[in-house]
Formats: sequence, C-alpha cells, structure tokens
Amino acid sequence: MQEREYDIVIIGSGAGGGAAAKELAPLCADGVRIAVLEMGAKLKEEEYTGREVEMSRRLYIDSGGTLTKDRAMTLAYGQAYGGSTVVYTGTSLTMPEEVVERWNVPGLEYEDLHRRSLKYLEENNVHLLPENELNDNNRLFLEGCTKLGYHVEQFPINVKGCLSSSLCNLGCPNQAKQGTHRVQLPQAEAEGVEVITNCRVTRVADKVCEAVVTDPGFGEPSPWAPGEYRVKAKVIVLCAGGAVNSAALLLRSGFGERLPMLGRFITLHPALILVGEHDRPITNFFGHPKSYYCDEFWKNDRFLLETCMYFPFVTAKNLIGFGAEHSELMRAFPRLQMILVLALDPAIADNRVTVNSNGDPVVDYTLTEDVLDTLHASMLASTRIFFAAGARRVHAPAGKTFFIDAVDSGRIDEMIPRANVLSGKISITSAHLMGGCRMGRDPGDSVTDGWGRVHGTPWLYVADSSLFPQCSEINPYVTVMGLADRVAEGIRSNAGELLA
Amino acid sequence: MKSLSREKAEFLRVLAARIVPETAQLDSAGMGRLICLIDEALLERPASVRRQFGIYLGLLRWAPLPRFGGPFEKLSADRQDAVLRWFESCPVGLLRAGFWGLKVLIFMGYYGQPDTNAMVGYAPQRDGRAGLDARA
Repeated sequence: MQEREYDIVIIGSGAGGGAAAKELAPLCADGVRIAVLEMGAKLKEEEYTGREVEMSRRLYIDSGGTLTKDRAMTLAYGQAYGGSTVVYTGTSLTMPEEVVERWNVPGLEYEDLHRRSLKYLEENNVHLLPENELNDNNRLFLEGCTKLGYHVEQFPINVKGCLSSSLCNLGCPNQAKQGTHRVQLPQAEAEGVEVITNCRVTRVADKVCEAVVTDPGFGEPSPWAPGEYRVKAKVIVLCAGGAVNSAALLLRSGFGERLPMLGRFITLHPALILVGEHDRPITNFFGHPKSYYCDEFWKNDRFLLETCMYFPFVTAKNLIGFGAEHSELMRAFPRLQMILVLALDPAIADNRVTVNSNGDPVVDYTLTEDVLDTLHASMLASTRIFFAAGARRVHAPAGKTFFIDAVDSGRIDEMIPRANVLSGKISITSAHLMGGCRMGRDPGDSVTDGWGRVHGTPWLYVADSSLFPQCSEINPYVTVMGLADRVAEGIRSNAGELLA
Repeated sequence: MKSLSREKAEFLRVLAARIVPETAQLDSAGMGRLICLIDEALLERPASVRRQFGIYLGLLRWAPLPRFGGPFEKLSADRQDAVLRWFESCPVGLLRAGFWGLKVLIFMGYYGQPDTNAMVGYAPQRDGRAGLDARA
C-alpha cells in the first residue's frame, strides 16, 4: 500500500467537492496541500460521443440504473471529474426562502445561502436562453400551461457556447455546460489543488483515507498508478461524494455507531416521464432539453413539472407496456413531446442509505402512498398540458390504455385511475439524491452542524447534497454549491488555527 | 458471453421478440449485439442480482406450464403476451419489478444500439443548431 499526505483531502469532485476545492484553493499559496479524490474518470474531449449506452457506462454509477432495495426505483448519479455536474442539464435555481425555513437548520439563514448561490450563478454563466434557441418540445409545454392558466417559468441554465446538441445528460460533447469540470476544478488545479481521478475511497478513519486507484480503460490516466493507497489528511477530510456515497463511506467507516441519523432521511424527488404525440414532427432532440418548469402545483400538490427530452433507450424504458403499441410510439420519436414530473417527497427516517456485507451502498427507500398520490395527480396535470398543447394522444404510465386519444381528453380522471399507479410497474427514477448526512443541532437529530462539520469529529466535514435535511423542492446543484461554499468558508476561517 | 448461458440467451431472444417486435428482424450480428449489451449490463451488477435475474427467467419460462401446458417458448404469441402482461401487473411487487428489469434490459439491447437510432427517427448531432432552425 502506497502512502500520500496532504493537509486537506476532499472526497468527490461534483457540485460540492468542486466548489469546496475552488474555495479552499487559495490556501495552496500559503503552502497548504489539498487533494481531491474522485472515483470517476476525466474523459478526453473526443470520448464525449453522445452514444447513449456508452456514455451512461462512462459517466454514471451503475450506468444510471442503481436500484433501490425494493427494486421500485432507479437512481441516476454521476461519477466523473466533475461528478454529476457533467451529466445534469445545467438548470440553475436558487432555493426558495420558505424551503430554507422549513429546513430549520440552526445557523443557516436564507440570506446567507442565497448570497452564496448567486455567486455561483455568476461564476457558472447562468442565463436564460433566447427564445430563438428554444425548441418545439419546450415551447409546446409553455403553450399548454399558458392555455390552462398554469404558472410557468423559464429555467436559467449554465452554458457557454451551447450548440443545441441536446445531449446534456450524456455529457455535453461541446463542453458548453459549465459544471465543476469546466469551471471550479480547473481553477482549483491552477492554484495548486491536485485532483486524483479513478480513485475510490473505501474507508476514512483518524484522518486517513484508504483508497483504490483503478484503470477503467477510458479517460485520462489517473495521476496515481493503479493500486491501494493510504492518504493521510493532516488537518481535514471533507466528504463530497453525494448523498449515497458520503453516507455509505461514513457508515463503512464505523461512524454510524455514534451518529444514529447517519444515512437516514434520504429524499429523492421521485420522477417519471409522460409522452405526448403530435400530428407533425416537432423539434425535440435539437436544442436544450429543459427550458421551462411549472410550479403551479408546488405548494398544494407537492409536485413540479419540467420539460425534458430523453434518448431512445431511456424513453423506451420509461414507457409502460411492450410490443406493437410500444414500438409504434417509439417510431413516433420525432413527434414526441415529453414532460418530467418531480414529486416533492417527505424526509422520513426509515428512508435511508445502508451498506451491505461488502460495504456497498444500499438505498432503502419506500414510496409512500402520499407520494404515489402525488405522482398520480402529476400525471393528470401533465396529460392536460399535452392536450392543451395540441397533442393527438398521450401515453401516461398509469393510463387505462396505452394511448389516451384527444377525443378522451375530457375523461382524463377516468382514463388514469389511481389504482394503476403501481410501484415496480411504473418506471420511477431519481436524479436528485438528497440527505443521509443531514445538518442539524446535535447527533440526536442530525449528522453535521449547520457548517457541515460532523458532530463530535472536528476534522471531518461534509459538503454535498447529503447535508439536506429535507428535499430542496428544486433542482439542487446550486444549493449544493452554496452549502459547499459555506463549509469551505468555515474551514478557511479556522485555517490559521487548524493548520498551525 | 460471460454472464448469460447459451440457454438463457436463447430464451431472451424469444422474450425480445414479444417485447420489441423489431428484434425478430435483426440479423445475427444485430441480435448478437443485443445479447452482448445485456450480458455486459448484467456483469456490472452484483452476483446476487445476476442470480435473481436467472431465477426470474426460469420463472417466466415455466410459469405458463400449469395453465397452458408448456413452457413460455412453446406458447402462441397471444398467450406469450398474456403471460407477460400478467407479470407486468402482478400483485406481487417484486415480480412486477422483475418484469420491468427484464424489459429495461431488452430495450437497452435494442434501442441502446446506435444503429437503431435511425429506426425511430432519432438523429442527434453534435451541432444541433441547423436542426433547431429547421423547425416547422
């Protein structure tokens, strides 16, 4: 086993790890040594091929199909230099004040988080795309919602030089998306931070990270040769591996014994896709896939609707049924409009990350009846939007029939019965994984304090979506960066004392 | 193939023909790629999941025996579809989820092949601006 030594070791390079690395990087000028250990690879530009299965295997854990323990949901989260910021769509929202108030984390004020979030909007070139760059898939959503009187907003997104490939979720082949792989990590490296890719941390204890470096057969070679490593952090270890991996790492390392909340209160924003078919071809797989969201149902019905456009395989797996009807809908691909539903799920202690006998993460998450009710209500609303936008027929996962024709648009409630919302049958996914190392007051209610410091372990911090005590109720990456910024400031402000 | 036996691969071909009818028209190279993609996906999974998948295939194959008098592959297309529909909406959640997993693997094997993108009219481009401008 080879040994390495740094002052600060950051585990993970996504929204949390990347932002923390950049914020801590100025310490390098004072001789502080900082390493980022990232389990994924740094892809070469020519390796962003846009091919669905190939890119899923390179950029997602379990190719984007991690199963929950009960097999009722799949989870999509990234592994790469840049983590999930390489594969999100770049939609950049700041968290509403009332959600921060619901979180009720001692010492975490809305103004503070908002100010930090705005900093990242600026840093990541977040802006609204001009109207002429929006495709029909998005404009039809706006049209349908507007006709129904539903409130719609345009997503600000973080692109620079977007060429409308629509391949965001497979890693932008044009390097337009301003994730941490494009912004924060290069800046941190320029200031002296070392980023070690293909490096999976298996355990952390007494300021030592045990890690394994492998060669996945693609991407830039890791700066370290394949093998086992013992990485000593003289001062601080900062976990930013995401909701599943940060909690699992700490559980594997034995922190669960004195932190009873570790791994608990996972929330996922359970999501599903509906498809509307139009009479004519529409632009759907050219242009940014996610330009609008509808928050009409946010407060009372607990769901959000977003535009989306997926690739053939992901689309196929999200449709219910099989055989001739399924193929018929797939062959209509150029005429398809898509809506993504996000249910705003409650934080429940029994929804948790655990580890199996091999130390691998297991996400034990149960869809509650309330969440299934929410998904049902969201299907009704989405179907109305499709028809209001002029769709000739709609495919809803809980529909009585594979297609709901426009002539039946007055019978939507009857055509999509709640009884058909069966987990395991309907494809329910999550790309917003939150909680597991929640912030709070003390070990009785949380894992860290409001500055991401693990209770009772002053050298150990967390800076990722696992900090969320409840779901964010919006796409979460900007909030993750805001929190990581705060965690880094806490470390920096104590740097003199810590590094003395 | 490292995960699938020849027998399981053959049964998957039978299932694929019901789940994605176009697979019946694939040439041997295309079908080989479909099975290979599934095999690779299974290899990424823990051994326990691969075992469960093997058991699930066995269950699908022999479940029709009491009612229809033969294994799945001997049934008419209509009866095969009826069996699959039963599993898809089965009262037991794990069996529903198992069917969903089977479908996902077959969809991946077919729609995950770049060659089949054109079959559904999907033609992405690195620079999509011209396609966007061509909208109706």
